[in-house]
Amino acid sequence: MYLAIKEILRNRSRFLMIGIIFVLIAWLVFILSGLGNGLQTLAASTLKNMRADYVVFEQGSKSSMSKSLLSADAMKAVSEQEGVRAVSPLGNSMGTALQGDGSSSEDKLDIAIMGIEAGSFLEPSVIEGKGLSKDLLTGAIVNKSMKEEGFKLGDTFRLDGTTESLTIVGFVENETYNHVASVFVPIEEWRRIAFAAPGADKGLHDPVNALMIQGKGASVKAIDAKLGNAETVTRAAAVQGMPGFKEESASITMMQAFLLVISAFMLGVFFYVFTMQKSHQFGVMKAIGSGNAFLGRAVVSQVLVISVVSILIGAGLTYLVATVLPKAMPFLLDTKLVIIYSFVLLAIALLSSLVSVRRITKIDPLHALGRVE
Amino acid sequence: MEQGLQLIDVSKTYNEGSNRTVALDRVSLEVRPGEFVAVIGPSGSGKSTFLSIAGALLQASEGEVRISGQKLSKASEKELSRIRLREVGFMMQSSNLVPYLNVVEQLLIIKRMGGRVAKEDKVYALQLLEELGLGAKRKSYPEELSGGEKQRVAIARAFMNDPKLILADEPTASLDTKRAHEVVGLIAKEVKSRNKAAIMVTHDERMLAYVDKVYRMEDGKLYPAAASAASAAAASSV
Repeated sequence: MYLAIKEILRNRSRFLMIGIIFVLIAWLVFILSGLGNGLQTLAASTLKNMRADYVVFEQGSKSSMSKSLLSADAMKAVSEQEGVRAVSPLGNSMGTALQGDGSSSEDKLDIAIMGIEAGSFLEPSVIEGKGLSKDLLTGAIVNKSMKEEGFKLGDTFRLDGTTESLTIVGFVENETYNHVASVFVPIEEWRRIAFAAPGADKGLHDPVNALMIQGKGASVKAIDAKLGNAETVTRAAAVQGMPGFKEESASITMMQAFLLVISAFMLGVFFYVFTMQKSHQFGVMKAIGSGNAFLGRAVVSQVLVISVVSILIGAGLTYLVATVLPKAMPFLLDTKLVIIYSFVLLAIALLSSLVSVRRITKIDPLHALGRVE
Repeated sequence: MEQGLQLIDVSKTYNEGSNRTVALDRVSLEVRPGEFVAVIGPSGSGKSTFLSIAGALLQASEGEVRISGQKLSKASEKELSRIRLREVGFMMQSSNLVPYLNVVEQLLIIKRMGGRVAKEDKVYALQLLEELGLGAKRKSYPEELSGGEKQRVAIARAFMNDPKLILADEPTASLDTKRAHEVVGLIAKEVKSRNKAAIMVTHDERMLAYVDKVYRMEDGKLYPAAASAASAAAASSV
C-alpha cells in the first residue's frame, strides 16, 4: 500500500487519467443500472409490489396476463389447497383516460386498469384520499403520476372507447404497469369495462385474468392438478412473462455486461503496460532483496486504491445526476444494486491486476545489472 | 561461525544450443570482514557472472558459495531473495533508485521489504546520509540529484540493512574523475568503519588505490594481482 500510494502521489496526472476513465465506466454502469431498474419498475411495479407469492394463469398463457382468462369460480378450489393463505382475483386491461372533451392530444392519457376486489390484499394503501369501496364501483385509486397530468382528487374522467366513467377517490404511489400509470378499480367495474363487447368473456362466469395467491408453501402442482386448465407460476415468473419485459431487461443487462468486460480489459491492459514499463525497476527491487509478494501487493493495492476512489466518485456522480434527470425519464437507483455493482467492478479490477502480478513474478533480478552475459 | 564471503571452486556454465560456454571456471575466493577487494578484467571475462553469483542473484553450476556461513547452493528462490535482503548490499552501475521515493524513503523501503520500519531505522538512515554528505538532500527525489549524489544514495541503501557483504558493480561507470574518487572513497570508508566484506567490480584502474586486494578476471578464471594501484598497473602489463 505504501509504495502504491507514494507512486500515485508522485505521478498524479498519469493515475488521474486512468482514474477518470474508470470513473466514467463506473458512472455509466450505475446509470444503466438506474435506467434498467427504472424501466423495470415502470413496466411492472404494480405486479412486483403485490404481496402475492404465486399467480394462477390459464393454461397456455405463457405467464402473461393479457393471454390468460379464467373464471373466478376457481378461487374456492384454490383456497382449499394446502399452504394457500389467501386468493384474490386480478383483471387487467389497457385503456385511455379522457379529460374534458378529449379533443386535444393533451387530454388523453394511457392507463393500465387493474381490477381487484375492494379491500383485498392486492389493494395498495393510498397516500391521499380513501381506498376502493364496493358501494362506489366507479371510484378508482390511481398512481400519483396522474397528478402531473392534471388529474385531481374527485375528478371524473371518461374511458375512451367505452361508456364508462371513473372518479378518482384516492392516490397511490409507485404503481405502474406496462410503462403507464395504474388505475385500480373494483373487479366488477373492470368486468364492465373489459367485457363490454358481447362474447368477449368467452362465456366464462365471473371472468378474471389471473388469481393471485398468498402463501409461500402452496403447491403449484396440486393447484394445477385441481384446476385442470391452469398453470401456476411464482410472482417473479409472472413479471418475466409480461410482454417486452424480458427483452427490455436483457438489452440493459447486455450493455452492463459489455461495460464490465471492457473495464476489466482496460484496467488489466493499463496496469500490464505500466508493469512492463517498470520491469527494470522491479528487477532492481528484486536484486536488492524484495520478494514477489512485496511487489505484487504494491500493484494490487494500487489497483484497489484507484478502483475504490473511482467507484465512489462514480456513485456520487450518479446520485447527483439522478437529482437533475427529467421526471419523464424512468430512472430509479436501487442502493442495493449500486452496492452490488460496486463490488462487481472492484472484483473485476482486482482480478485484472493479477495479470500484472504474474508478470512481476517472472521478472529476473539479474536484468537489473543491465548487462547479462 | 564463518564470516564474510567464501567462493569454493565455483563454476558457471551456459548451454546455448550445442555450445557450452564456461562463464566462470573453478573460481575460489575469500573476502573477510573489513576487507575491500577489487575485481578487474576485460568485458566478457565473467565479472558480471561472478558478481551475480556472489550476490545470490544467480546459482552456481558447481561449487559452493557461502555468505556469513550460509550455503547458497541449496537455497530456494525465496531464500535467495531473503539472503539478498539481509546479507547483501548491492550497488549497480547506475544508481537505480526508485523514481517516486525521496532519499530517506529509498533507504527505508529496504526495511519495508522485510516488514516494518522502526524508529531506530529512521535514525540509522539519517545517520548514514549524514556520513555520506547527503543530510541536506534527504527530502530530494532522484530527479533532483546529480549522478554522484545518486550513487551516494545507492551506497547508503546498500548499507541500510547492515549486510555482511557489500557488492559494487562498476559504481563509477557514469561519473567523472572527481566524483568517482569521492564515491569509491566513501565506499572504502564505510566498509572499513562498519567492518564489511566488500567486492568492487571495475574497469577503472584509478580506483584500485582504495582497495586492499586486486583480482584479475580473464576467461572465467580469477588470478590475484598486486595490491597497490602502481603495481596493479605493472601487473597488468606483464
